[in-house]
Amino acid sequence: MVSPDRRRFLGTVAAGVVGIAVGAGLGWSLRLPETREEKVTFTVPGPTVTVTREGQTVTVTREVTAKRTLPKDTIKIGVLGIRSGPWATYGTLIEEGAVLAMEEINAAGGILGAKISLAIRDEAADVVKQARELVEAEKVDFLVGVDSSGNAMRVGPIMSELNKILVVTHAATHRFTEELVYKQKIKQLFRVSVPVYQDGILAAYVAKDLPVKKWAGINPDYEYGRVSWQFFKDTLSKLRSDVEFVSEQFNRSPGTTDFSPFLSAALGAGAEGIYTTNWALEAVTMHRQMKSLGIYDQVMAVINPMSYSMDVVYELGKDYPTAKHGTWVSGRYVWFYPKTSINERFVESFRRRWGRYPAYSSETTYTAIHMLKAAIELTGSLDLDTLISAMEGMVVLSPAGARWIRPDDHQAIYDVPYGKITHVGGEIPILTDLVTRSAWEYYRSPPF
Amino acid sequence: MLELLIHQILAGLFRASYYWLIASGLTLIFGVTRVINFAHAAFFVLGGYIALTIDSLTGNFWIAVAVATLTIGCIGVAVEMGLIKPLYKIESLYQLLITFAVTLIVNDASKLIWGAASRSMKLPTELAISVKLAGRSYPLFYFFVITIAIIVFIALYIALEKTFWGLKVKSTWRDVTMAQALRINTGRVYTTTFFIGSLLAGFGGASMVAFTPVAPGLGDSLIVTAFVIVVLAGLGNLFGAYVSSIIIGIAESMFLLFIPELDILLIFVIMAAVLLVRPWGLFGER
Repeated sequence: MVSPDRRRFLGTVAAGVVGIAVGAGLGWSLRLPETREEKVTFTVPGPTVTVTREGQTVTVTREVTAKRTLPKDTIKIGVLGIRSGPWATYGTLIEEGAVLAMEEINAAGGILGAKISLAIRDEAADVVKQARELVEAEKVDFLVGVDSSGNAMRVGPIMSELNKILVVTHAATHRFTEELVYKQKIKQLFRVSVPVYQDGILAAYVAKDLPVKKWAGINPDYEYGRVSWQFFKDTLSKLRSDVEFVSEQFNRSPGTTDFSPFLSAALGAGAEGIYTTNWALEAVTMHRQMKSLGIYDQVMAVINPMSYSMDVVYELGKDYPTAKHGTWVSGRYVWFYPKTSINERFVESFRRRWGRYPAYSSETTYTAIHMLKAAIELTGSLDLDTLISAMEGMVVLSPAGARWIRPDDHQAIYDVPYGKITHVGGEIPILTDLVTRSAWEYYRSPPF
Repeated sequence: MLELLIHQILAGLFRASYYWLIASGLTLIFGVTRVINFAHAAFFVLGGYIALTIDSLTGNFWIAVAVATLTIGCIGVAVEMGLIKPLYKIESLYQLLITFAVTLIVNDASKLIWGAASRSMKLPTELAISVKLAGRSYPLFYFFVITIAIIVFIALYIALEKTFWGLKVKSTWRDVTMAQALRINTGRVYTTTFFIGSLLAGFGGASMVAFTPVAPGLGDSLIVTAFVIVVLAGLGNLFGAYVSSIIIGIAESMFLLFIPELDILLIFVIMAAVLLVRPWGLFGER
């Protein structure tokens, strides 16, 4: 990232080069017959510029604006999240990250002097309509957010028509980047959060080292649940030959209030471990019911990929149940990982602003806005193609660590650990025995 | 295998008990007033919210459930008297619309008051006692809910079949003009029906929140199953609704065990099949 002062300096130098070149040209045309030659070399970023000046002193008047400017004073960002129904809390989590990024950036002078403003919409109220209205009526420059995989797949294809960049910060279906970006070449789409590779594939690496041989899956009955479970089964069967998948159930989501028949069927099939991608309200429901039905005493381990999300962690709090060989959870970011100054500063300012530890979708949305800022500052432009090529291959230093935006599928590559729920006193449990693997190892990579 | 069946049946009965607590009010209200109360499940969830607030204030589960039950009963009456009463004389579509509006208002109001995150409370110690059955332990709460559902069934039966009040309700149910001609205050019967229906929803929600967290809009998905049950039994058939709650509850459990891929679909298949053969429902009258 280029700081404003350095930019101004570079601009002045460049202007100087141009000025001198003009002067030199003028001087050369006015030269006297007997002259002496002088070579002056300037070093600026890029190729070396050599200006040859001949003749006597020439006065050149020049007028140059050195500062990079944008064509507008406000950059408007549309934020999509689920704001109604049982998952409404996730829209708030996205909003909190976006608001924090906006406030911090605006307080520090904005993006090349332009202030950020946000327009926040409920994706549960027809995501396509909301996205269109944001672009056409609210005239937003960028879109960030989207909680649901289904919504991401609906809104993704219209982004080439609306011709705006959409940075997804939560929806996890691998099809978003593999199909829409890689295969259909919808270049306007990016994702800074982890895809289901985290929920399915990395979870299998966790399961591989557990003493569980019989796994049961209880997953939400839609794309995310089904795909994650499939990835989990496929990967774990490759990693270990002695595991069995004894039962697979798919529950209605949202709307399952009672998991007892699912749990009973899983135990009846002899499950030693339970893998579930239920999240939000349903994750809380399931953990509580597993506890009150005594299932936590009967299974050895539980894997629940997204349940280190802060809404679940705060709701279960000190009662977050732990199985004998661990309740293994993760997120799209966990607040204490990695231990970097960027992350510590983010957690600190998030807590100051919202009074809680940051949820993963707050971090991913915060990062998405910072990534857009970096791209604009790097290019000094709001031109879509310029920004897209700047973002392809960009390395974003974010609270969750360094993210590399893979040019082929516009997917951010970064590591998020799994860990075992451990109560150490205090309001919320933390994760121990972290399973940290490089994203390079478990992300699927192109060609898809 | 037998043990497994026992567990699935028990889980099905537990689920069915909640279905019954929602569906009974829904079908009672429809039977008497001919209003399809779309907001019924929203009241159920609201009962949960009120219970957890009272529980955090008093720390007593029973007080929380009692207060929430009565509050929802009163809210039901207020909605009936304030919003639905003026619409009895016109098309039923408008009643459906107004109850849908109430649903939206209740959902957003709960989000405003209690926040968007899911909320729950702890099972009281006396209901958390674990009971061993066929090799597994269940909280006493399970049997409490199943018993309450049966008690509600018996109480409604006695109230409707063995009392004079029940006679008035039934005559309003049959033929409202005739009932009015017999000087039955049908307006009051309507209001009482709403009160009792909402009371049941409030009680269901308030007791459920000790086992299942609530979130704004949760009712929207519960109302679907409740409608399936009510339609399966025959719209307005109260006692049939109990049987079809149990059919659906246990069918869901069993499908989960044997054909988990299709369990969500099969409920609707059952409904469609019944409606094809008996469009008036399993227990409805032609």
